[in-house]
Amino acid sequence: MRIVRTVSYICALGFALAAGAGIVARADAPPSASAAELKAAASTAPATTTLANGDPGGALTGTVSDVPVSDAKTGLTLGDVANQVGQNKIGVNFTWTLICGFLVMFMQAGFAMVEAGLCRVKNANHTYMMNFFVYGCGLFAYWIMGFAIQMGGAAGNGNLGGLQPLIGEQTLNLFGTNWGIFGHSGMFLSGHTYDVGVMVIFLFQMVFMDTALTIVTGACAERWKFLTFAVSSVLMGAITYPLFANWAWGGGWLAQLGTNMGLGKGYCDFAGSGVVHAVGGVTALACALIVGPRIGKFNRDGSANAIIGHDISAVLIGCFILAFGWFGFNPGSTLGASGAGCLRIGSVAVNTMLAGCTGTFGALLYMWALKGKPDASMSVNGMLAGLVAITAPSGFVNPTASAIIGLIAGVLVCVSVAFVENTLKVDDPVGAISVHGAGGLWGVLSVGLFADGTSNYGGSWNGVTGSVTGLFYGDASQLVAQLVGMVTLVGFVFSFSYALNWVLDAFIGQRVSAESELEGLDLPEMGQLGYPEFVFRPESEILTPVAAVA
Amino acid sequence: MAATKSQGKAFSLFMVGLTTACAGIAYLSSGSGIAALIVGLIVVAVAFGLFLSIKPLEGKVPENIQPVALKLAGLVAALGGWMIVLYGLHLTATVSGRLTTTLIGFAVSLFGILYLLPMAANKNAIWKA
Repeated sequence: MRIVRTVSYICALGFALAAGAGIVARADAPPSASAAELKAAASTAPATTTLANGDPGGALTGTVSDVPVSDAKTGLTLGDVANQVGQNKIGVNFTWTLICGFLVMFMQAGFAMVEAGLCRVKNANHTYMMNFFVYGCGLFAYWIMGFAIQMGGAAGNGNLGGLQPLIGEQTLNLFGTNWGIFGHSGMFLSGHTYDVGVMVIFLFQMVFMDTALTIVTGACAERWKFLTFAVSSVLMGAITYPLFANWAWGGGWLAQLGTNMGLGKGYCDFAGSGVVHAVGGVTALACALIVGPRIGKFNRDGSANAIIGHDISAVLIGCFILAFGWFGFNPGSTLGASGAGCLRIGSVAVNTMLAGCTGTFGALLYMWALKGKPDASMSVNGMLAGLVAITAPSGFVNPTASAIIGLIAGVLVCVSVAFVENTLKVDDPVGAISVHGAGGLWGVLSVGLFADGTSNYGGSWNGVTGSVTGLFYGDASQLVAQLVGMVTLVGFVFSFSYALNWVLDAFIGQRVSAESELEGLDLPEMGQLGYPEFVFRPESEILTPVAAVA
Repeated sequence: MAATKSQGKAFSLFMVGLTTACAGIAYLSSGSGIAALIVGLIVVAVAFGLFLSIKPLEGKVPENIQPVALKLAGLVAALGGWMIVLYGLHLTATVSGRLTTTLIGFAVSLFGILYLLPMAANKNAIWKA
């Protein structure tokens, strides 16, 4: 027994010595390979004296010595490197989103040129000024109120660092399910929304909103009272647009159709065929119905006269500016270029190009084959309609589908312009209702048809796992979600806009006097002619029956 | 009349009122927030009063009188179609059923927008005179 006990003591002592040796061995072990590599890399970084000689080849600039060290005593650690990687990802995404936002902002110049060019010279200053001032009206309204309604509950975007301050979505419980109705974080960008990520998303969403507002000025051009335009634009930027945008993009009920009702991935609108263009288009129709047609647009028998614009070169150049800006509109809607499937930006950009191209073909060939001339203004509208239509599906479809979507949009805009003018008897000087309204609705629908299920933005969309897939690729429920969005646009957004502008008509009056309209709005409304040296021709020389043009 | 100083003043007042009201909403939890909201709404109301007072100075406007009943009918149809869709989503859980109710709602909304409201707008259109 004593022998057993002695052996046990010896074994215990042996284990203790072995364990102690192990501890000593671990304490004296060389640093892990990665930490050693970091130290080695730091030691081989070019010295300050080397860099002082210049780096014409660019091989010495941007090395391990540019990674910030959290603790100078410890030196560079893996944690420092990982933090820098995270900063780089968000930095790339911030830069991408901001630059794309700047491109979209420049689209205002394109809209101004297209709209003013399609109007008569006597209204040039007024039309340009509406496009100029709508930027200020929209921006201010969005800052004080609109952004909070739209994005106030949109926290969770990993591409922009999480956007955690935007956590205030107001919900409504219906049939046991919570539905997002509007957000309420971010008024004046104050308090906890004074945040770098929130600023980026504000800028990007603001320029989108302004695009929707400027669509209305085209449909009501040449007879809209400047005061009413300003008030109407402020209210649209503060309430109408943000409300629908919240439902689609801010975590609202349309986006929740997938999680709450099992309809595909919910309402999907990648860059805004519905949110931006159809909202602008249906509001344009509502306002144009209230404002009424220009004097001389329709004859007593209801036939229409073509009122030719004053500068087709401005129209064509403006269209190219818009097409250029669209590369910010659609690819920028990934809200980043790094992570979560953002590398699809190339595909989004190519889809955008293709749809604009085939939209031009659709409209130009339609007019040339059926009316005899490759009409310039309709060709412009065809390109714009193609771009409008691809805006919603650009992130979800392949190039062939985008070409088809654009081609159909190009033909659709010609048919729609004729329908609006000849059947509805609504005067739309620039074709905004057709380009943005009809084109936008077609774009929303096309997601439900052509989305091919190959996109993967972080593995889910609107909180539903998987890729957006349309009817032609096996998911009919996505088509239903898109149709629900379309009815919301024509049912709710139109009605809301109509009611709002009806009230403004009662209080302010939507239309200028007959005297001002005949004289041209430049002097009565703006106090200055757009082109003082121009000699006006009598209206009778300009008005041409549509039948004669055709 | 066209653009005037009165219009400019009324619009300035409207913007001040709206901004004050929004500031009130932003800080609604505080006492000053409620006060700002009330003051802002009053200023907006005053601005609308000014709008209304200067409206007759515009002169003869080439606008027709659109029948209110027809306009309301158009609005009801447009909104009604949307309501049908919302109700239809809860009426059935099948995709085909929801597709059917959505298409019906779409047709009703379009009837209001593309038939009733243009009819109201063109009932006494200026070009008919």
